[in-house]
Amino acid sequence: MSVGLVDVLIAEDNTADAELVQVALEQNDRSFRFHLVRDGEEALDFLLSRGWYSERRYQDAPRLILLDIRLPKINGLEVLRVLRHDPRTRLLPVVLLTSSTLEEGVALGYHPGANSYIQKPTDFQLFRQIVHHLARYWLEFNEPPPLGGRVMDSW
Amino acid sequence: MNPSIRVLLVEDNPGDARLIRVALHEWTGGSCVVDVADHLAGALLRLEAGGIDILLLDLGLPDSQGPDTFAAVQRKGAGLPIILVTGTGDEEIALELIRRGAQDYIVKGKIDAQLLGRSMRYAIERANIMNENRRLNETLERRVIDRTRQLEAANRELETFTYSVSHDLRAPLRHIDGFARLVRERAGDTLDPTSRHYMDSIHEGTQQMGQLIDDLLHLAQVGRQVVRMGRTKLDTIVQEALAGLDQEPEKREIRWTLGPMPEIECDAGLMRIVFMNLLSNAVKYTRPRRQAHIEVAAELIRGRTVLYVRDNGVGFKMKYADKLFGAFQRLHRADEFEGTGIGLATVQRIVHKHGGEIWAESDTDQGATFYFTIGEGRERPDVTT
Amino acid sequence: MPDTSMIPIEILLVEDNPGDVRLTREALRESRMRNNISVASDGVEAMAFLHRANPFEKAPRPDLILLDLNLPRKSGRDVLEEIKTDEGLKHIPVVILTTSQAEQDILASYRLRANAYVTKPVDLEKFLKVVQSIEHFWLEIVKLSRS
Repeated sequence: MSVGLVDVLIAEDNTADAELVQVALEQNDRSFRFHLVRDGEEALDFLLSRGWYSERRYQDAPRLILLDIRLPKINGLEVLRVLRHDPRTRLLPVVLLTSSTLEEGVALGYHPGANSYIQKPTDFQLFRQIVHHLARYWLEFNEPPPLGGRVMDSW
Repeated sequence: MNPSIRVLLVEDNPGDARLIRVALHEWTGGSCVVDVADHLAGALLRLEAGGIDILLLDLGLPDSQGPDTFAAVQRKGAGLPIILVTGTGDEEIALELIRRGAQDYIVKGKIDAQLLGRSMRYAIERANIMNENRRLNETLERRVIDRTRQLEAANRELETFTYSVSHDLRAPLRHIDGFARLVRERAGDTLDPTSRHYMDSIHEGTQQMGQLIDDLLHLAQVGRQVVRMGRTKLDTIVQEALAGLDQEPEKREIRWTLGPMPEIECDAGLMRIVFMNLLSNAVKYTRPRRQAHIEVAAELIRGRTVLYVRDNGVGFKMKYADKLFGAFQRLHRADEFEGTGIGLATVQRIVHKHGGEIWAESDTDQGATFYFTIGEGRERPDVTT
Repeated sequence: MPDTSMIPIEILLVEDNPGDVRLTREALRESRMRNNISVASDGVEAMAFLHRANPFEKAPRPDLILLDLNLPRKSGRDVLEEIKTDEGLKHIPVVILTTSQAEQDILASYRLRANAYVTKPVDLEKFLKVVQSIEHFWLEIVKLSRS
């Protein structure tokens, strides 16, 4: 794993939103390695190292996962539920992105276990600010859960 | 006179019975059929068998007395006209029973064929009319219930629709704003002032649309929400609403008069939205005033508690009053006073959800007062699935 | 539509070191978002506050909890566990703000469903920066995205 590069997984089916998130993240002075998945199944394949991504190692788990609540095939809440159930992925930091207060309310009621919930605003400047602070916080200041061979949860 | 009138005479005294039968015979010239029962049980059995057109009922029977007799027969009789046969001195009871549905009464000892005839004729006619009325009312009631249910269903559909449409509009809006902004940044100094101005207008447009969508979403959400009633101190709600108001950009002098507010049954959260909207409007429309006066209080009007918010702002002409609460309806130009026109629609929705009413009084430049009531504890059945 | 972000954000700071309490308050005072800080100086007090038990019957419901792991009477870990298993409290974001950088502590916290974990730097400047970044994200951004 390259030193200094930070892995971020973005699970977003909307191309334009994915592009805007990347633009916003790139404006930080960190170098990110983006991974984009377009639906819930792909997200799980990536994080659980199966299917297309069977070559990925758990040690290479992303430092931050931006998960849109609306994903085709398997939606964000379901993905999160699976992640929280699996000892290999239970502790990964996930920020759930919603489109409105009601969607957020639904998500919260579900108690899916995201680390944080963010509503995507319509104002792009605001959106940029949000993504910027989000990245800074989770990738610079927050201590990520320890990963790596011997620290699998409940091993 | 219908020749085949069938009379049920419920009378236990044979002498009285015979007198009545003679009178009946006289009046109808022999063309009515009289069945006689001398106790309640027998009368009820006979009623059950059907075919009776009218009852002559003595209240004093061996197996039942007074009002109970009447009640039993009335229940069994299902709309049949009943004429009471009473003794002298029983007029009070008779009148009481007439109030309860008996058609008329005759006094033993004063039985007169003419009187009896007229009484019976009227009784039969009146009973027919009453039954017809009752039937019409029931049909009407059923129709109202159906209609209400239809309206509620339509309402819910509309709210769901409004909700999902508004919701889905947010993403493309973000894209328009986002990519326009990125174009502008990439173009940097190569962009001439006019183009920069156009880009600004694009941004403003998206902001306005964003606000509209949010307001619509809010309105739809309020509509879908189940009302959670509870004992609420309105004073507290008003204070909370005040605290939640936007800071006005220019320091303005606003004189607040807050009258004592009652404690009522309502949904506190929704009531807060009502006050936030009304107060925010009052603040907005008093902007041209050097000193704004805003009053929030409760008044007793014709026995009902009426809450109101009054301001000394620019007001509006009463002839536009019916547009006031329509969604998207505005009475002032956007460049004079910003806003999407959803606020009052939301307020009305909430007030109606509480079974109350809302109305306003105003005149141009004379300020405005918004009155509303909260239904006397009666909650409109606005339940969401 | 009136701006609901004018209603102050309620923060519960669970911290027994008075110096750290003071510094955290200072750092949060700089925020653009109006906030209200309540302090509990040990785990028992923290839980009483959250359950609105005597003497905290009128306690506000926090929008964010900053939790130190080293607490007297009841440890931060126990507090965290209680919060994240309580139906009424588990959705309140909990940011662990503590001196320990030990892997076991970080792991344990995430296992107990802490939302985030931040280590307190020794350096004053850095400490203020850290608290501000927490504030930036959890207060400004999370709240801002809801306006």
